[in-house]
Amino acid sequence: MNEVPWSLHLLSEVLAAFSVEDPNALRNVINRVAEAVDAEVVAILRQGTISLCIGLSAAEQPLLIAHAQDHPASIELGSGQLQTYWAPMGEGALLVVGRLSEAFNLEERSLLRAMGRSIQLSAQVLQALTAEREAKDAALRQATHDAMTGLPSRSLVLERLETMLTTSAAGDRLATVLFVDIDRFKQINDAHGHACGDQFLIAVASVLRSVVRSDDLVGRLSGDEFVVVTLTATRQDAESLASRIIERVSRPLLLAGKLVSHSPSIGVAIAMAGDSAETLIENADMAMYRAKDRGRGCYACYDRTMRLEAQHRAAVEADLRRGVRQGEILPYLQPIVTLPDGRLVGFEALARWQHPRRGLLTPREFIGVAEDTGLIVEIDTLILKEACAIVGRWRTHHPDHPLRLSVNVSGRTFVDPALPDYVARALQHSGLEPENLYIEITETMLVEDIESTTLVVDRLKQLGVRLAIDDFGTGYSSLLYLKRFPVGILKIDRSFIDGLGVDLEDEVIVKAVIGVARALDIDLVAEGVETKRQMEMLVDLGCDYVQGYLFGRPCEASEAEELVEKGQGSLTSSGQ
Amino acid sequence: MPVDPIADPKSDHITDPHPERWIQVGSSIAPDTREATAEALAPILAAGEPKLVLVFCSPVHDLAQAAALVADQIGASGLIGCSTAGELAPDRSSGGGLTIWALGGSGFTVATGLGQGSAAGLRQAASDAAHCLDDLRRRAHTVLVLLADGLCGDQMEVVRGAYDVAGVDVPLVGGCAGDDMAMQSTQQLFGRQVLHNAVVAAAISSDAPLGIGVSHCWEPLGEPMLVTSSSGNSVSTLEDQPALDVYLDAFDAPEAVRRDPDLFANWATTRPLGIRRRDRIEIRYVSGGDFKTRRLLTIAEVPQGGLAFLMQGDSHSVLEATHMACQMACDGLHGAPLRGMLLFDCVARRSVLQDARIHEEIQRINSVRGDLPVGGFYTYGEIARTKGAGGFHNQTLVALALA
Repeated sequence: MNEVPWSLHLLSEVLAAFSVEDPNALRNVINRVAEAVDAEVVAILRQGTISLCIGLSAAEQPLLIAHAQDHPASIELGSGQLQTYWAPMGEGALLVVGRLSEAFNLEERSLLRAMGRSIQLSAQVLQALTAEREAKDAALRQATHDAMTGLPSRSLVLERLETMLTTSAAGDRLATVLFVDIDRFKQINDAHGHACGDQFLIAVASVLRSVVRSDDLVGRLSGDEFVVVTLTATRQDAESLASRIIERVSRPLLLAGKLVSHSPSIGVAIAMAGDSAETLIENADMAMYRAKDRGRGCYACYDRTMRLEAQHRAAVEADLRRGVRQGEILPYLQPIVTLPDGRLVGFEALARWQHPRRGLLTPREFIGVAEDTGLIVEIDTLILKEACAIVGRWRTHHPDHPLRLSVNVSGRTFVDPALPDYVARALQHSGLEPENLYIEITETMLVEDIESTTLVVDRLKQLGVRLAIDDFGTGYSSLLYLKRFPVGILKIDRSFIDGLGVDLEDEVIVKAVIGVARALDIDLVAEGVETKRQMEMLVDLGCDYVQGYLFGRPCEASEAEELVEKGQGSLTSSGQ
Repeated sequence: MPVDPIADPKSDHITDPHPERWIQVGSSIAPDTREATAEALAPILAAGEPKLVLVFCSPVHDLAQAAALVADQIGASGLIGCSTAGELAPDRSSGGGLTIWALGGSGFTVATGLGQGSAAGLRQAASDAAHCLDDLRRRAHTVLVLLADGLCGDQMEVVRGAYDVAGVDVPLVGGCAGDDMAMQSTQQLFGRQVLHNAVVAAAISSDAPLGIGVSHCWEPLGEPMLVTSSSGNSVSTLEDQPALDVYLDAFDAPEAVRRDPDLFANWATTRPLGIRRRDRIEIRYVSGGDFKTRRLLTIAEVPQGGLAFLMQGDSHSVLEATHMACQMACDGLHGAPLRGMLLFDCVARRSVLQDARIHEEIQRINSVRGDLPVGGFYTYGEIARTKGAGGFHNQTLVALALA
């Protein structure tokens, strides 16, 4: 064997051990150095510290550092005399090799010097390559993953889904997309701030990852829109996964010390022959809108009719944007009168869309789209501003007839921290007294996210504006918030009024609500009063105020002004 | 099992003025696991309360059942073992048998460890197992016994991982579990747990010397070749030619072996590769071939850039190695009387001897150890680190002698 230059081949082995694929390459290399010369100890010293070492315990390693300057030929260890060689690696680094048996001969020393230089050079190349690879990986990741949640972004989701559609085509299980949208996310974001909103999305991403199988894909498409891509054998499997996600994602989250309640709506789409990845995600998106129509925290499975609905919805959205831009959204005003004399005391402002082709549209035909698209905030503030201006103008024309105004706002507008500013501006421009303006909300909106609504309500209170609680009796009916917040009006839901004279239970409820309002010194308005019988019963029950078709439908400002001009006279005769 | 009452785990070496040490081995070739375990355990129980019990069990037996039976008798702490490709006992070399090797007495202290690994995490698994040294009450002489899964990744990593913890002071010995040459799956035992892809370890410390012997006696066949492409346990090319074809041609393989991967694996058992080290050739067991990519598969790494030899051996060289390893181990006791031996013998050496001459290996062992207890198993790779930082071997006999 003597004729074979063993050292040359062992040097080749050491160099071949460098691998960009192996994060422990340098550690493996020093093992090979030790194995090549039967050394027990190998270490790399840089700037007086040990960057890698095998063979010595942590307690023994300082021995090498102590001799980093004098490079002795041997060091005394507990287990014997360690013959050492200190091979320069360049840039002040040293490859220290120790053997308990004989000292290193000339060929070994030459080999170790060559190894030292080569390792340093290779390590630098490796470092550069690793840095380049990491930069490329980071760039790729940035392009394919959402930076905030770390989830695959749309492009990667589409790519993986396309692959899944191809590979699963012949299998028993079908590619399935669950489109997950967080209900009221905009409100959460507005109410708690964007930093909390981001934390919230990161938490949702984490929950989604934990609820699916390891081979399922969770991605984030945008904002609060996530997708889960999976394979399912039956529709029941997909529905079961959707239910599981709703249950897990709906668990309240603690954000910035506040417990936030939320829920997801999920659209489920199972691949059909010929579906592309884009189509499948679109289908799931459409199903998600159906789920939202069913209420919060629901899921719906895609069917073909949804595509038509989606097209209709898109058309309405575009039309509504145009309508808002062109001033087609108008405030209609419905009178509120006293009982028993029917004297006009104010109006409730309601949005109507004066469509150029379809005529006058009620909120039922456009509010859903407005809420989904965020246009609702614009519509609410527009109605607020216009209605205040109208009633303020009347206030000037009829200074002896002060009128109160109730303006409905949606949940999304109500948690918008800018709402008090909109209200202040509307009051300022119209001259309407704050005490005559009521922001009308449902009791659910008030209670659902009490932490965030408190800020808005407190600022409204500072302005002197009060709240009117719509549909009272159908939700939480908590007396606590009636005391805590500046509630000026309770409105009994029309479903109870409909029951008057028909259902004894409704009568009892109305009586109880009137009692509560009286006890707390809050005005009470009965909504949806349509018959004299209902009116008479409300008189008997002691109700203060009413509104409904019996006293006047919502009407344009000019028509409403005629009612104002009638002054104190009873409106009951103008009813239906 | 009794806990040694002397000294705390972190103290310096402890001494016992009247140390008692015993080693005992039991074995059985009974086909029923319950019966075989009882038979193998009987001499151990007669010897006293063991501190360490090693169970070497053919895959024809249920290792979990054997472990449970042993643990029921003497407890699960200090119990490790593995499946085998044959067992060694004082009076026989068996296949389908069960051997139990044990030690006890106040002159020994023992700690056992476990690392659960995978091909990628074998080094960490070995380190985890070797950390049993942290719990060992040290005496004058210490060794770490390792039992690994030879079918799981590059076994060099087992030595590296254990060395990371054991350092220069503690030699390593051991072997890779077998599965009677099925080359499918091996088992490791830790207490009552039967594991795969694991490393189990026993740290033994003794008042008396411990000797380690290593020998293979294989000789190169022809000139060395450059390993021009390899990665881990897979050799792609030798001298830039497909490694499998170079190997088949060099050994003039019969036609059937060239076509059938199973026949090839069996045939290659006695035709290892050797890799050039500083002053010796280390053997690499050829465990199979990839007939599509024409690669050779080995139990441990054949490094790219190095020199590889085709190795040859015969019954004579195998028996010579047996004698040399046992004698070397006994010489390591520096005159202290031998009490017993633990052997890790490559299954390929058994294949060379075949049934007709396997008894001669036992005779060679007995010529060194006399009538003292000896036991071990046939392995898929052997571990012996006595100097340097490496120490994974193939086609080799590793002997641990205990005084």
